[in-house]
Amino acid sequence: MPNADAPLLEVDDLRIEFRSGREIVRAVNGASFTVRRGETTAVLGESGSGKSVTAAAIMRLLASPPAHITGGRIRFNGADVLGAPMAQWRKRCGRDIGMVFQDALASLNPVFTVGWQIAEPFKAHGVLPAKAALERAVALLGRVGIPEPHARAHDYPHQFSGGMRQRVMIAMAIALDPSLLIADEPTTALDVTVQAQIMDLLLDLQRERHMAMVLITHDLGVVAEVADRVAVMYGGRVVESGLARDVLPRPAHPYTLALLESVPRSDIEQQQLNPIVGSPPNMATLPSGCAFHPRCRRATSECRAARPPTVKVAPGHHAECFYAQQVFDGR
Amino acid sequence: MDANAQTTAAIIEVRGLTKHFPIGAGLKLRQKAAVIRAVDGVDFAIHKGETLGLVGESGCGKSTVARTLMRLEEPTAGEARFHGEDIFSAGDARLKLIRRRIQMVFQDPYASLNPRMRVAQIIAEPWVIHPDALPRSEWAARIAELLQSVGLLPEHAQRYPHEFSGGQRQRIGIARALALNPEMLVCDEPVSALDVSVQAQVVNLLEKIQANSHVACLFIAHDLAVVRHLSHRIAVMYLGRIVEIGPVDRVYRAPRHPYTKALLSAQPRIDFAQNGSERILLKGEVPSPANPPSGCRFRTRCWKAQAICAEQTPPLVADRPQHQVACHFPE
Repeated sequence: MPNADAPLLEVDDLRIEFRSGREIVRAVNGASFTVRRGETTAVLGESGSGKSVTAAAIMRLLASPPAHITGGRIRFNGADVLGAPMAQWRKRCGRDIGMVFQDALASLNPVFTVGWQIAEPFKAHGVLPAKAALERAVALLGRVGIPEPHARAHDYPHQFSGGMRQRVMIAMAIALDPSLLIADEPTTALDVTVQAQIMDLLLDLQRERHMAMVLITHDLGVVAEVADRVAVMYGGRVVESGLARDVLPRPAHPYTLALLESVPRSDIEQQQLNPIVGSPPNMATLPSGCAFHPRCRRATSECRAARPPTVKVAPGHHAECFYAQQVFDGR
Repeated sequence: MDANAQTTAAIIEVRGLTKHFPIGAGLKLRQKAAVIRAVDGVDFAIHKGETLGLVGESGCGKSTVARTLMRLEEPTAGEARFHGEDIFSAGDARLKLIRRRIQMVFQDPYASLNPRMRVAQIIAEPWVIHPDALPRSEWAARIAELLQSVGLLPEHAQRYPHEFSGGQRQRIGIARALALNPEMLVCDEPVSALDVSVQAQVVNLLEKIQANSHVACLFIAHDLAVVRHLSHRIAVMYLGRIVEIGPVDRVYRAPRHPYTKALLSAQPRIDFAQNGSERILLKGEVPSPANPPSGCRFRTRCWKAQAICAEQTPPLVADRPQHQVACHFPE
C-alpha cells in the first residue's frame, strides 16, 4: 500500500510529439507536475499549450501514430503508467481514474440510453450484474442532479440539454468511485449560470468522495475559485506551479503575470487592458530558449539562447524564468 | 465613460422587435406549426458614439437581434428606426444605403473571411458594392491606412486569410467593417473565439476605434467582463426579452433584476478577496423558447417568484433614471 502522503499522480518531464509527413509538432516538451490525494490541481493554458494532450497521455488515450511519447514518466499511485501493459492499465485506470470531456455530446454514445452507458463500467469491470448496475446508474443520475432519474435513465443523450449531458458524463466518470477525476474543460461549452452549477457539483462530489481532480482549463476565474494547486502551461511546458492562492495574487512567471493583467474583469472597473503582444507559439516551430520570449516584456538575449532554470521563489512555488525572483518581488 | 449620450438624439430606435422561427412547418400543418420565440418584443435605443452591450446566455436571442437589425433575418414584427427611417420596411435600394452606414463584425474570424480573397480584396469589397464610396485610385492608400489603424502592416494587404492568426483575422474583419466609415457597428461576440491572451488586444483595438471615430456600437457578448469594459450601457436578455437595461456601472454594481444578479454572481472571479461572496446558484436551465413560461419568463428559476409572476408579464419600468427593469419585485 503506498504512503498516503505520496503524490497520487506524478507527471515528470513528459514529452509528446505528433508526426505527420515531414512536420513534427512538439505538443508537450518536458511537462512536470504532481497531484495530491483529495486535491484539485488546475492545469491552466491557452489552446495549443499542451494541456489536453497531457491529460490524454495520463489516460493513455493518444493514438500512435501520430502521437509519440518521446520521454518522461507518469506515475499513478506509485505505479508506472506508460510502461504498463495496455490490458492491465485499462483495467486499473477504468476503476481509479474517471474522465470528463468538454464536449459531452461527442463523448456519449448516441445509440444507447444514458442509463445503459452509466451502468456499463460496472458490467465491464465485473462489479455488478446488469440489473443492479442499472439501479446504481439511476442512483448516480439522481446524485448528479438529474430530475426524475428513473425515467431519464431510459432517454438517449440527444434528449438532454448541454448541462444535463455534462451531468451524465460526470455520473459515468464517478461510477466506480475513482481516486482521480480528470476534467478537461468541463464547463467551457456551457453558459455561465450552468457552468456555476456544474463546478459546484464537481466540487461537492470531490469533497464527498475525497477524490483528487485534475482540472484542465483556460479560465483564470475558474482556477481562482476552485483550484488548490495550479500548473500554468505554455509552449508544452509547465512554466509556473504552486498553490493557487500563492501563485495568482503574486505570480513569478512573466506569462502568468501578463495573463492576469490582460484579462477583462467583471468585478472591478479597469482602465485600459494590458495585452500580451503576438499570439501563442506554433508548436511545430517553437522559439529557442524560453518559448515565451518573443512575447515577453523582460526578455533578454539570455532568454533567446537558453532554456531558463526552474526557480523556487517560495516553498512549493516554482517558475521557469531567469527573472522569476524579480517578477515575484515585483521588480 | 461619459453618460451624457442620452442628451443627443438616438441613431437607432428599436421598438417591439420580434422574431419567431417556425418549427416543424410541414405543408398541411403549416397553420398550426409551433414557433421558437427567439426574440419577443425588444425595445432599445442607441445614441451617437454610444456602445450598448447586449448580454445573455446562448439561446436568449441576442444574436437574432443583431441579425434582424442587419436584415440578415426578416423580423416577424416591430420596427427599427435608423435616423427615423424604418430598417424593417425599407426596400432593397434604401436598405443598401442603410447597410452602408451600419456594418457588422462577426464572431468567427475563420468563417467570416473568404479564403480565396487577398486581404486587400476583402477590405475593398464594401467599395465594390458601393462604387461611389471611394474612387478606385484611392483604394490602395485607404487599405494601407485601414490596416495600420487595426494594428496590421500595409504589406499584409497581399496575403490570404490563412496566413494570419485568429486575432489578426479578427483585425481584418474589423478593418473591413470600418471601410465605409459607418455610423454604427454591430459586433456579434467579436472576441469570444480568440485565445485568452489575444482577446485583450482586440478589446483594446475596439476601444481605440470607439474613441477615435465616435462610432455607435451594438456589442453582443456572453462574457460580462468584456462587455463591462467596452459598453456605456448594458441590456440583459433572457429568453427573448430584455429584463434589465441601464448604465453599465449601475447595472454591475447594483443589479436590480434577479437574473442579472445571478448572472453576475455566476461569473468566475479572479479576485481572492471577493471569493466566497454570495454566489447565486440558479435552479435548472433556461426553458425552451418554443414554450416559454407565462408571465415573467424567468419565474421558473427565480427565488423571488410569486403567483403574480406567472399571471402578469412585468413591463420594463424606468423608476430610476435610465435604469429600467422588468420585474415585479426588483432590488
